[in-house]
Amino acid sequence: MAKLLIVDDEEDVREFAANFFRKRKLDVSTMPSGETAIETVKTDCPDLVLLDIRMAGINGIEALEQIRKFNTSVKVIMVTGTKPEDNDALAKCQSLGVLEYIHKPLRLDELEHVVMSALK
Amino acid sequence: MTVFAASSLILFVFSFVLSILISIFGKAKLNRIWALFNLSVAIWALFIFFASNTHNEGAAILYWKLAHIGGLFISIFFYHTICVFCDINRKKTILFAYSQGIFFLSLCFTDLFISSVSIAFNSFYYNNATVTYSIALTFWATFSILGLFELFRNYRTATGTNRNKIRYLFLGFLIGFLGGGTYFMPMYGLKVYPIGNFTIPVYSVIVTYAILRYRILDIRIAVTRTGLFLAVYTLVLGLPFALAARTKYLLIAAYGPNWWIIPLAAMAALATIGPFFYVHLQRKTEEALLKEQRRYQNTLKHAAIGMTRIRNLQKLLSLITHIVTKTVRIDYAAIYLYTAQTNEFTLQVFREGNRERRRVPPVKLSADSPLIRWLHLNKDPMIYDEIKRVLQDAPNPVGRKIEEQMRHILASVIIPSFLDQKLSGFIVLGDKMSGQIYTSDDLNVFQVLASQAALAIENAQFYEDAKEMQAQIAQAEKMATIGTMADGLSHQINNRFYALSLIAGDTIDTIKLTDTQKCSPEIQEMIKNINAALEKIQMNVTQGGEVVKGILKYTRKGDHKLDPIDLDQIIDATLEMVKYKVKLTELDIIREYPQETPKILGNLVQMQEVFFNFIDNAYDAIVERRNTLKEEGYRGRITISARRLEERLEITVRDNGMGVKKEDSRKLFTPFFTTKISARKGTGLGLYVIRNIITEHHGGRIAFDSTYKTGTSFILELPIAKAIT
Repeated sequence: MAKLLIVDDEEDVREFAANFFRKRKLDVSTMPSGETAIETVKTDCPDLVLLDIRMAGINGIEALEQIRKFNTSVKVIMVTGTKPEDNDALAKCQSLGVLEYIHKPLRLDELEHVVMSALK
Repeated sequence: MTVFAASSLILFVFSFVLSILISIFGKAKLNRIWALFNLSVAIWALFIFFASNTHNEGAAILYWKLAHIGGLFISIFFYHTICVFCDINRKKTILFAYSQGIFFLSLCFTDLFISSVSIAFNSFYYNNATVTYSIALTFWATFSILGLFELFRNYRTATGTNRNKIRYLFLGFLIGFLGGGTYFMPMYGLKVYPIGNFTIPVYSVIVTYAILRYRILDIRIAVTRTGLFLAVYTLVLGLPFALAARTKYLLIAAYGPNWWIIPLAAMAALATIGPFFYVHLQRKTEEALLKEQRRYQNTLKHAAIGMTRIRNLQKLLSLITHIVTKTVRIDYAAIYLYTAQTNEFTLQVFREGNRERRRVPPVKLSADSPLIRWLHLNKDPMIYDEIKRVLQDAPNPVGRKIEEQMRHILASVIIPSFLDQKLSGFIVLGDKMSGQIYTSDDLNVFQVLASQAALAIENAQFYEDAKEMQAQIAQAEKMATIGTMADGLSHQINNRFYALSLIAGDTIDTIKLTDTQKCSPEIQEMIKNINAALEKIQMNVTQGGEVVKGILKYTRKGDHKLDPIDLDQIIDATLEMVKYKVKLTELDIIREYPQETPKILGNLVQMQEVFFNFIDNAYDAIVERRNTLKEEGYRGRITISARRLEERLEITVRDNGMGVKKEDSRKLFTPFFTTKISARKGTGLGLYVIRNIITEHHGGRIAFDSTYKTGTSFILELPIAKAIT
């Protein structure tokens, strides 16, 4: 069973996204922050991380930088709610080997499509 | 020579000169007839001078007959003058008057009219009245009285200057004919000395003054001044003579041969005090007479000073009309101000002093109308009566139009008000409720009031503009704050939308995956409804996301990287943004450039901002034209065209909106400058920012061309992207 880690500081997002993908027969775990996400990647080795960029504490990009230090293979999809062009975020994400870059909000079926094709 | 003969000679010279002067100064009908009146007086005076100077009875009879050539017509010309002055049609009566005059003239040299003379006052020959003469005299008197009657009738309906003039005519008549009547006394053997020679010149002068002068003194003032003058100088000159005559012997006894020094000294002393005394008396009496006038003139002066402190334009205008109607007691007052957009003078406020009412005044006057041009040219207050009198003297089409316009806007007086030599507006005044005239003093005060009002109005307008500008700056600041907040805001909003999308999507998914076959039809129906509702939530979330995206596009700073972009790309992206602000269905956007138009080297985000401003401005201008000019079948149009100029692309954005006036166009690119016509309402920053984007960031050029009431074009010159594709 493929492992999906959802990182978002919004509880509702975590809950419903997890719920949705569990129905898709994925092993879903959720984390509310960048810090906890790094630990989970270390211990749990997920196949795919759905990573929110702007969070309280360290942001998604910083978390990913940490993760890449010990894990270069895990697939990552970045989720952003703001302007992607700012701070060269897009370029940085690309250099960190991000698979996809998606903008909030989006329809769940689109998200499903992105996640499922990443895990194929 | 007798006193009668001497005064006759003086009367002759006086009347003759006066009749010549009157004919020189005006060719109008009124002047001609009044000149004839004076001529007939002159003839009369000349021959009674000869008659009273001869010792030959036969000659005296002849002279008296000759005198009546003039005398017979005096009352006829008087009557005719009054008919013309009052503008009344009495053709038949006038014809009859002249006919009887000519009839008696034909009898004049027969013995029926004058057959004998007798010595009067032991000094000169005076003619005796015959029966025919008496009949002629009856006619003569009838026409005098008829003239007086017409004058009286006209007085009751006359207003303003005319009313005042009629008073003068009355007074003149009273003096003139009371004296003139004494001419006839000796003819009937009555021992009354004929004093007409003295009173008729006074009469002639008064009437001539009233007829010829436009702006005449209030009669009360004129009478008082004359009376005072006569009184004071009779005293000054008369007292020393009286002193000399009565006390001559006493003085000789006391002072010897140099006795005359005493009355001379007295005269010198009195002559020195006299003028002061006269001026003092005059001031006192006029103060008493004009108490009312001085009171409101003072009020007006105070009001004029206080006005500049009022900042609310509407309040200020109402106050001016209020003060004018209340304190001066005028039955109507209105203010018109210049409106640059339409080149018209528009009615701002009007006020009626009394309740019963007339027509509604016209709301606007074109700046090209004859009345306005006249005001502009002459800069003086205009008085309806004067215009009308000028027209009577010299009818002309322009004058008639002016007269008509003044009547139309209910003006007895118009006080123009100027700012920097430009007519900024005018005050319209109706008649005084007292029926009195507007004096020169009044007009002076009104002019002061008007010029103060012009300043105050400008002040208030400036204040209101400043207030509006401040509001715009505040708005600009708010926009800027929102811009900086947009980043965080959009994150927050998108997070909410994201959560909503997941909640709705997951629930839909759950429903989809759940087997509802076993449920009752009611439950199935309910689930179907819930599903539909969730779908709607998802749809709204998607749309909301689009809105946020639009805001982000507009507020993002973006980098300044220049990329090859084509015009379609810019326009599409701009329309996407602009549709939230501009009703694109109200206008046509026409792309008039060929398919193969080269790409420019530019920053899409910034170019979007530039075109956003163009379209937004154009839209405002289009709305303004639609609302201001109200043309039939008008539809807004924005045309975008482009042509290659070597290494550059010239892009023209042309609208058919209101356009910009010449004086505003210089300031168009100034920060915070905004007119309602062009710059985007809200910031006044639009074109300033645009110019920076084009010239600083793109190395391009921007120019514009605008014709008021036709439209505006912005012309951009941007570098063409080198073909690297």
